[in-house]
Formats: sequence, structure tokens, C-alpha cells
Amino acid sequence: MDDSRRYGNRVDEALQFNQKRCLTWFREYTAPDDPDTLGPEGMEKFCEDIGVEPENIVMLVLAYRMQARQMGFFTQEEWLRGLSDLQCDSVSKIQARLDHLRCLLNDQNHFKAIYRYAYDFARDKDQRSMDMDTAKAMLALLLGKHWSLYTNFSHFLEQSKYKVINKDQWCNILEFSRTINIDLTNYDVDGAWPVMLDEFVDWLKANRAKTSEDGS
Amino acid sequence: MSRHSRTSEDRGPNRGGNNEHSYSGIKRKRDTQAEIENMSDNTHKRANFSAVTQNGLNRNLNILNLKPAATKKLVIKNLKSEPKLPDDYREQTWDKLKSAVLDIQKSKPNCYSLEELYQAVENMCNHKMANTLYNNLRLLTESHVRDNIEQFLAESMDRFLFLKKMNDTWQNHCHQMIMIRSIFLYLDRTYVLQTPHIHSIWEMGLELFRQYILQYTLVQTRIVDGLLMLIEKERQGDAVDRTLLKSLLRMLTDLQIYDQAFEQKFLVATERLYASEGQRLMQEMEIPEYLSHVDKRILEENERVLHYLDSGTKYQLIHNIEKQLLSEHVNNILQKGLDGLLEGNRLADLSLLYVLFGRVKNGHSELCVSFNAYIKKRGRTIVIDPEKDKEMVQELLDFKDTMDNVVANCFNKNEKFSNSLKEAFEYYINQRANKPAELIAKFVDSKLRAGNKEATEEELERLLDKIMVLFRFIHGKDVFEAFYKKDLAKRLLVGKSASVDAEKSMLSKLKQECGGGFTSKLEGMFKDMELSKDIVVAFKHYVGNSNNDLSSLEMTVHILTMGYWPTYTPMEVNIPENMVQLQEVFNKFYLSKHSGRKLQWQPTLGYCVLKARFKSGRKELVVSLFQSLVLLLFNLSDELTFDDIKTATNIEDGELKRTLQSLACGKARVLNKTPRGRDIEILDKFNFNNEFVNKLYRIKINQIQMKETTEEQKATEERVYQDRQYQIDAAIVRIMKMRKTLSHNLLISELYLQLKFPVKPADLKKRIESLIDRDYMERDKDNPNQYNYVA
Repeated sequence: MDDSRRYGNRVDEALQFNQKRCLTWFREYTAPDDPDTLGPEGMEKFCEDIGVEPENIVMLVLAYRMQARQMGFFTQEEWLRGLSDLQCDSVSKIQARLDHLRCLLNDQNHFKAIYRYAYDFARDKDQRSMDMDTAKAMLALLLGKHWSLYTNFSHFLEQSKYKVINKDQWCNILEFSRTINIDLTNYDVDGAWPVMLDEFVDWLKANRAKTSEDGS
Repeated sequence: MSRHSRTSEDRGPNRGGNNEHSYSGIKRKRDTQAEIENMSDNTHKRANFSAVTQNGLNRNLNILNLKPAATKKLVIKNLKSEPKLPDDYREQTWDKLKSAVLDIQKSKPNCYSLEELYQAVENMCNHKMANTLYNNLRLLTESHVRDNIEQFLAESMDRFLFLKKMNDTWQNHCHQMIMIRSIFLYLDRTYVLQTPHIHSIWEMGLELFRQYILQYTLVQTRIVDGLLMLIEKERQGDAVDRTLLKSLLRMLTDLQIYDQAFEQKFLVATERLYASEGQRLMQEMEIPEYLSHVDKRILEENERVLHYLDSGTKYQLIHNIEKQLLSEHVNNILQKGLDGLLEGNRLADLSLLYVLFGRVKNGHSELCVSFNAYIKKRGRTIVIDPEKDKEMVQELLDFKDTMDNVVANCFNKNEKFSNSLKEAFEYYINQRANKPAELIAKFVDSKLRAGNKEATEEELERLLDKIMVLFRFIHGKDVFEAFYKKDLAKRLLVGKSASVDAEKSMLSKLKQECGGGFTSKLEGMFKDMELSKDIVVAFKHYVGNSNNDLSSLEMTVHILTMGYWPTYTPMEVNIPENMVQLQEVFNKFYLSKHSGRKLQWQPTLGYCVLKARFKSGRKELVVSLFQSLVLLLFNLSDELTFDDIKTATNIEDGELKRTLQSLACGKARVLNKTPRGRDIEILDKFNFNNEFVNKLYRIKINQIQMKETTEEQKATEERVYQDRQYQIDAAIVRIMKMRKTLSHNLLISELYLQLKFPVKPADLKKRIESLIDRDYMERDKDNPNQYNYVA
């Protein structure tokens, strides 16, 4: 056989997605006593390999593509599912796809899906609701850069008595960030917003009134 | 010459047919002088005139026709020639009349007799000189009137004198015209009547007078100004000559210049006066003073109309005053004075206010609004302050009584006002959530308890009815029910109910107000009490027939159906053996009759009668079960610590402290505590107080059971809130199940319709969120304002 063809075949082979290769790659990150689950240690190595910080939002998108159940863990099934979907079976391939993953966040519908997914992903599976610390971290990750009222909201949460956030509140926060003006003029108090957001609006209005008083 | 004193009036009616006139007229003309003499002393002649009146027959005829045997024959021949008037007849007669008129005008006696003058007029009229006569008369009158009035132009005299003089002039004019008219009556009744467009003599006089008053506007103005000045003086409080006023005003009316000359100016002056008076007095006076002043003024002005003004002015005058003194100041009066009047219960002033405001447009509706606002404001202070909770109910009752009284006595039981009162009460009572309902329930409890000797049965009934009125206003009636039930249970179980009739009466009132559903549990409680009595009798038989020797201990049991009664937290305490035994026997007895049921003993509710022996003698103590558990311990030991007692009885700390406090620190100290003091500490020691004395044999120390602790109260409130949450949840699920999908706003409004207690939208939202969290319902994916039912 021609060397060039053989080389081309090999290139083709290398370019194509190979499940076996993907699985082997998976095994680089799993421990022998638990070969089907990629845990925190493996996750750290994986992140290092692909050159992405574990807290980077791209990781969330990746997890979303895998429909990973638990933050910090990938099962073999999830790994294969996500990566075959992305057609990646090596570090270089996935590095090439990172931008694509990031771009998903720019699409409204995808972002919404990812945001909602994030709730079940990040919460403690023993509880129905997500604890406040996790919530704050996730909100910072997802909304911190694009929502102008994010800082106010996190202050509000800090001083409130809320210890958890339930799914309904979580989803409504996104809606709030997308539809409500920074001056809160279009917020309908008698609307169907969760009480937590009513309280946030009241709190923010009171604070603003106070600062304008102090300022003047 | 004699003068007749007959007036024209006398003459008039006696006149008969025409023929006679001419007959006697001619006769007269010739023999005027002689006739008069004859007339004065010849009654025979006089008979000619009066002959007509007797039987309507002319005696003359009789004389002529009858008596054929008369000696003389009277022959009447025609006149040879037609009688003719003398040439200067007109001038002569007129001169006579003229002098008469002038004399009258100068108030001088006239040489001619009235009869003469009258005849002169008649003659002239009959000889077609009526026109001249009339015109001449008119000229005379005119010049006289003009002269009279002109004099008022020149003089500048004191206003009052001016008016007097004017009045005199007028009176004289009237008097004179009457006299003139009586002379010229014939003219008046013939020529004037027959000729169109001519005034009667009287009217002519008036017309001329009027003409000149109008022409000389200065005179008119002076008159009117003078009158206004007088009226103003009177209004300021001075006395003035009312007759003068009346006379002059009648003059104006008669001259038909009242409206244009006087009335307008009068009303303007009135308006000005009262406008400024209103402003001034509103500032200076207190409202009650002001109101009675207004009342006085209205009365005064009404009198003014009666005494000298024309009655046509009345409406506008009174309307004017009402406007200036009342309408303009309605809001001010209400703002400044109403609260004070209501606060001070000034019934007379309020009645006056009501009456006066009834006179002006919107007066009553404004009063009603302010009345409503006052009630809401004052009422709010009664309910809103937690410091004043103790007096709240009594104050509410008193306030309602006072306001009802005002509406009945001052506002004429006006329905608008009583409705407004109700609305205001309902509004302010509910400004404080829940507390009024709770306090009213407690108030009823205090009245229904034994030992409440204040009221007779009727008084109690009436009081309860008044309470029901307040109850009707409350929105959260379930709070009332919870507390009422709790207190009723205590009353029934601890035996503190004063009268079963009163209890039943209250119950039926509640049933009437809220329906059977509201009172079904309460009724169940009463039924339980009845049933328990029967059970106790049956139990006694049972015990009597059995082998157990439990006669030393007498036990009465009340069986409470769970659900009817308030929930009591069961407590496990250590009960003496003999009591436990009895309980077991009863358990067996009862469960044999009702196999499917379960009994749970409630030690908190029990009480005992203990026989005690003190140094001073034997006593009986009525104590709660807990108290008796503690006391019985002292049969075995003389002194015990708090800890000892706690271990022995197993009563919970807080409860135990209260119990010991009631035994060692209250009025009846059957135990001694060391160290002394009101509060129970853990290290305290207790011993039996042998020195205890009391004048009664049977002493009740179990009032403690009747008292409500703060924990109890909070617990009751909590239960109501809990219950409300369940009701809200149930309502939401019910609605969603039926509608499958519903918008947020529609769900909220539907809930408001269904729920019988007041709720805030935030509370509803919280329950909705809770139900979403528990997967009873969900938010619609596309429409955040929509909810879907999750089957």
C-alpha cells in the first residue's frame, strides 16, 4: 500500500470518532477500584489536560452535553454519551470544540436549558432544594457577568433568612434577570413572581431610597 | 250752614235706578240750598228717598193712585222747556271741586260739604264733563305729588329724619287720595270703569307718586339707603323703628318698585354682611358658639320677614344666609369642630349641626363623610395599641353605644348615617389583625364565668347582643372560635360556668350569626358534658356492683370527643396508685360499652378535693390534679426540694413552677417555701404549712387552671394560622383541580372569594410556592403567570 494512503487512512482514522479510543481515554481518569465513575481526582486531571479550570463555565456546558447527574462526577455512560455527541475522543479534539461549547451559552434557549439543568446538577441529591452557598456560587457563574442586578441580589440573599433555593425560585431568577429593568419599574408586585423576588424588590427599593437620602 | 257728615260710602249703596237720579238731580240743581235746609228738618221729604226701600214699592205711587177720595188731584205736566245748564256751569263746578282738592292736599278745612262736592262730581259726569274732570284732577294731583317729592331732593338731612318725613309724606298722600276719591267716587265708578286704559283715581295717585320717585333717583336712592342703614343697625343689635320700616317697605310694594329699587340692593347688602360675618366668626368663635349664632341669625331674619319685609323676599334672603354662613364653611366647620363635638358627646350641639346642615346642599353627605372619618380615626386608636388591649372590648362597646346614641338622637336615625357607622366600625376593627377577635372571645368568657355577679340575666343578655354586633364586624371569625372554644372548655371542665342558660343563649346567637357549621363543635362539647353525666351514673352502679373496694375514692369522669374540644398535649405524670387503679377500672368499664374507642387521660384538666388536717382544724382543698400530686407527696415527707418533687411527680418544669407558685406564693399558702419570694427557683425547698388558717372550710386554690398562660395564647394563635394554611392549601388544590390551568390573578381572586378569613396576597403566594414545590401544581413552561394542575 502507498505510504501516503496509509498515512491518510491513519489520519482519517485519527479524525474519526472512535468509541474504544474514547473509553480508553476515560480510563485515564478513573481509579481501578471504581472504573466506571470519574471522580473529583480524575476531574482535576481531566481539567488540567484540556487546559480548563474546573470552575470554568465551559465545564458546566460539557456536563450538560453529557447530562451528567452529579457535579464533580462523570459516569462512563455520561462520558460516552456527551463525547460521542461532540465527536471527541481525545484532548486535542475536545480543545477544538471548546469554543463551540462556549457559544452555546449565547443562544437564549440553550442557555435557559443549561441554567435549569445546573440546578439539579449542582444540588445535593439528598435534598430537594439547593443550599444557599452552592446557589450563590452557581448564580455567580451563570449570571454574574451578564445580569446588572446580580451583586444586589447576592447581597440580598446574604442578609435574608433563606437557607435554600427551590427549583421554582431558581428558574424565576433567570426570568427576572431577563425581563425586569434595572430600575424595577416593570416589576408587577401582584404578579406570579415567587415571594423571594417580591422581597428582593422591596429590599432593593428600600436600599436605594436610603442611599439617595444619605447622599442628598 | 250745616254740614253733613255722611261719607261717600254711605251714599253709594243707597242709590237706586237711573230715573230717580235725574229726577232728584234736577230738583237738586234748582233748590240745592233750600233742599239742604229742607233735608235737615223735613222728614217727610226724606221719605222720598227711603220710600223705595220699603217693600220695594214707591209710596209716591200709592199716594198718587190710591185714595180716589183724595181731595186734590195732582197733575204733572211736562216741562215747558228742556232744562238747561248755566253756561259757566263747568267752570264753576270745577272751581268748587278744585278748591276742595287743594284744601285736602293742604290739610285745610273746606267750605263745601261732602254732599255738595259729591253731587258736583255726579252732575259733571252726567253732563259729559267727566273727561275734563278727570284730566283736571290728574293735573292737580300730579303737581301736588311732584312738589312733595321734590322737596326731598333739596334737603340733606339726617337719614332717619328723612325716612320719617318720607313716611309722613306717603301716609298723607294715601290719606288724601282716599278723601279725594271719596269725593270723586262717581267719576271712579262710571267714567273710569267705562273708559279703557285709564287708572282709577287711587291707582292714578299711586302711579304719579311712583313716577316721581323713579324720576328723582336721588330720592329713591336715599329712601333705599336709609332703609338699608336701618336694617343694618338692627342686624348689629340695635333696636330700630320697625313700623317705619314696614310702612316704607309697603310703600315701595304698593308703588311696585320694591323689587327693582329695594330687593336687589337689600340682598346684595345682606350677602356682603353675612359673607364677612361668616368669615370673621368662623375664625373667632368655637364651632358650637358659631352654630348657635347661625341659628339665631336665621331666626332673626325670619322674624324680619314677618315684621316688615315682603314675604316674596323670604326665600332668597334665607337662602343667602344659609349660603354665606353655612355652605361656604361646611368643610371648615366639619374639620374644626366635628371631632370635638363627637369626642365631648355634645348632643345638643350635634343636633343643631344636623338641622343646620340639612338646610344646605350636600350638608348631610359631607357631615356623614366626616362622621365616618372620625369613627375610623378614633376607633383605630382603640384597637391598634397593644398596651391598651385590656380595655379594648369595653371601650369598643362604649364607643359603639355613644355613636349609636348620636345617630339616634342627633342625626334623626338617618339611615345613611347608621350605614356609614357600620361601615366605619367594620373598617377600623379589622385594622388590627386577630387581636380584637381574641379579646372579644375572652371578654365573653369573663362574663360567662361563675363569680361574675355584676349583671342580671337581662343585662347579660343585652350585653351579649351588643357583643354580637361587634362580632359581626370581624373578618377573621375563626380566631374568635379558637379562643372561645378553649375558654368554653375550661369553663365546662373546671366547673366555672355561671349559667348554662347564658351559655346556650350565647351559642344560639353565634349559630344565628354564622350558621350551624361554626357552632357544631361547640354544641358537641355541651353534648359531651351531658353524656358524661349519664356515664358517671352508670359507672357508679358498676363500681357498686363490682368487687373492688374503691369507695374511699370518688371519681367523676368527663369524656371529651376529640375534635370537638381543643387539642391538649398529653402529659405523662406520676399518679398515685389508687387513682391509677380507678382509671383502669373506668377504662375497662367504658371500653366494654364502646369497643372501638380509645381513651386518653388528660391530667392537666383534672381537679381534686383533698381533705387536709391543719393545726387549726380540718379543711377541704379544691385543687388541680397537679397541685394534688404535689400536696400528696407531703403525706410522706415533711420537706421536699424542687428536684424531689419533680422526680416524684414527673411534672414538666414550667408547669411545676406554676403549680408550686400557686401553693406556696399565692393567697392561700398551704406550703411554705424557703427561701421566701414570689418566684420558684430550682434550689427551693418546700414544707407543709401546718399553721395555715382560713375562715372558709372549703378552699378553692385551683384558679390557676382558669388562667391562660402566654404559651397557651400563642399556641392557640399558632393553631389558627396553621389551620388557615391548610384551608388555603385545600382551596388552591380544589380550584386547580377543577380548572386544570389558571392564571395567577384569577387564582388569587378565586381564593379571595372562597376563603372566609382575611389573607394577604403574600401568604397566598407562599402557599402556592409550597404546593409547586410539593408537585401539586406547576408553573406553565411558556407563560410564567400561568399555573397548571399536576394530577
